[in-house]
Amino acid sequence: MSVHHITAQSLRLVLREPTVGLIVALFGGLVLLSGWLGWQATATVNKIYLDAAAFLAAAGKPVPSNPVLDASPLILLRNMSVYVSLIGALAAIVTGNRLVSLDRTAGALPLLASRPVSPLAYAVAKIAALFVLIAALTAAAAGISVITMLALPAIDLAPEDWADLAGFFAISALYMLIFGLIALTAAAGSPSESVGLLIPVALWLTVMFILPALTLNLTPTATLNPISAMVPPPDTTFFRLTGWALGPLSLSEIYGTTAAGLLHFSPANWISRAAIPPAASFTLWLTLSGLLALRALIRLPKVSGDYHA
Amino acid sequence: MHSPITIIAAKDIADARRDGFVALMSGFLALAALTALVTGAVALAHDVATYQAAKASLLALGKSAAAIKPPEFYPLRLLRGTVEQIEIVGAAIAILAGFRAAASERGRQTLALILTRPLARWQFAAGKMVAGLCLLALGLAAVFGLCGVLLHLISGVGLGADDVLRLAVVWAVSLLYTASFFAVSFALTLRLRHTSTALLISFTLWLLLVLIAPQIGDTMDPDNQVAGGVFAALSIARPDQLKIMTAYAGFENFRNGIEVASLTKHFERFSFAVLGIKATYAGLPLGPILIEKTLDFLVILLSALGLGGAALLLPLNTRILTQE
Repeated sequence: MSVHHITAQSLRLVLREPTVGLIVALFGGLVLLSGWLGWQATATVNKIYLDAAAFLAAAGKPVPSNPVLDASPLILLRNMSVYVSLIGALAAIVTGNRLVSLDRTAGALPLLASRPVSPLAYAVAKIAALFVLIAALTAAAAGISVITMLALPAIDLAPEDWADLAGFFAISALYMLIFGLIALTAAAGSPSESVGLLIPVALWLTVMFILPALTLNLTPTATLNPISAMVPPPDTTFFRLTGWALGPLSLSEIYGTTAAGLLHFSPANWISRAAIPPAASFTLWLTLSGLLALRALIRLPKVSGDYHA
Repeated sequence: MHSPITIIAAKDIADARRDGFVALMSGFLALAALTALVTGAVALAHDVATYQAAKASLLALGKSAAAIKPPEFYPLRLLRGTVEQIEIVGAAIAILAGFRAAASERGRQTLALILTRPLARWQFAAGKMVAGLCLLALGLAAVFGLCGVLLHLISGVGLGADDVLRLAVVWAVSLLYTASFFAVSFALTLRLRHTSTALLISFTLWLLLVLIAPQIGDTMDPDNQVAGGVFAALSIARPDQLKIMTAYAGFENFRNGIEVASLTKHFERFSFAVLGIKATYAGLPLGPILIEKTLDFLVILLSALGLGGAALLLPLNTRILTQE
């Protein structure tokens, strides 16, 4: 039994799962909504600007430039970064969890133990399946976004904008992959199916809502607004210190600021205060989560690895 | 003689104490709430220092300091992040508590044994729910107690009886709010074949109601589209903003409709008003605020009662429950 066979079988099992379908459908719907929301909100701001400009001109006051015209068309997709952080991460957690928990609940591990399959081949196959599923999810989201951008009126993307959009989806896929790998690790190392799901969800809550409060003074609802999340923290010793020390751990902040740069809504004066550059932190997260997943899957006992064994 | 409900509730509370579940979950929520409180206090101290430095500069130049507005200070306003953590993390913890209450017997294979006793199905569910709500109430009380003590110590002005009363009101409403999520998760976990599917569906509902619906409403707010606010970017004063926005009443109603479809937004609006976090309610007496926010309170109360009633009364499939 080869890596290819286990990967294919894992993909078939996971894709038959209704909960995976539910989360993926929700993600697709939100990707679609993101483009409409961005377009609709931007059009409203534009109308408000025109009304305000008329009002200011009538009052004999100077009329500032239109903030909408100053922005790149990619800003229409700004909500995508929030939806990847929320539902994309959850979809990755569910997928990673199911890839291992289905084997552990269905009693497939003792069967695998009876076949000539090395622990390394099993681990590589599961990680490959996760990679394929997240790549497919990202490709679907990218396809929806491209169609949205092409369908919206008066939107014209330059080649460099398309390159940035591709970069955004690449970084989004890697962000989701990190959570998927953490879920694989937890599902393989936990004594029960539920604990395997709770560990990555608790970590995600911490990364999403607690660390940004410490490093950026962001309240939880501010983290959900892509524009508010880019307001710099107060310039105090406390936030300089927490930003420096905890910045590398604040994965959603690293992803959010990178995504903001690629979608062109990052403020010009935005600088990372973290001890190591965001790209290095991201690489460390990815490497560490990959190694932990590999280790947990290799050590998963095949004969007694079922949850109720 | 104890009723079956009391016996089951007492046993569940004892189990939760033994496995550290309550302490762990309350600790996590307390960490989130205290983090928000401390960072809010640091940011306010920074605002005060900036104001004092600007005032000193103006006075040194012989100018009046009346041109710069001093930062407003109401101690309870520092609880903004805490309330938001309860509405997000608190709801997630309530889902975990509901899941645990239902899944614990299934995982231990003890459910079949319990159901052989002379006990109505609703009494079993009621005992579990009473225990879960007591644990949630204790956890939230610990969080509000810790935040109250910290606020008293760091605010410099202390908390009065009125402040403590407001905290108690928000604690009670927090319990009702989290009870809805507990009930959803509890009901699903007791009725679905796989407990992990119930947990996933609960979290998907949580995502939609707690995070996505308010996020869509917030994102559609025109003033949230430009950093610092569109009207601030255009240097338009508040009265003129209101005049301009009268042409967008339909849009605003639609946006508000999306927000109020979420229970979370009702909880936020009620709590922000009672604690004076929303500027228009700061300094107002509690009575008129409670009257004005009756609708938000009723939505929270009726959700808790409706979902709790459904968790209690919907039929249980004992064949499924005793399989796992």
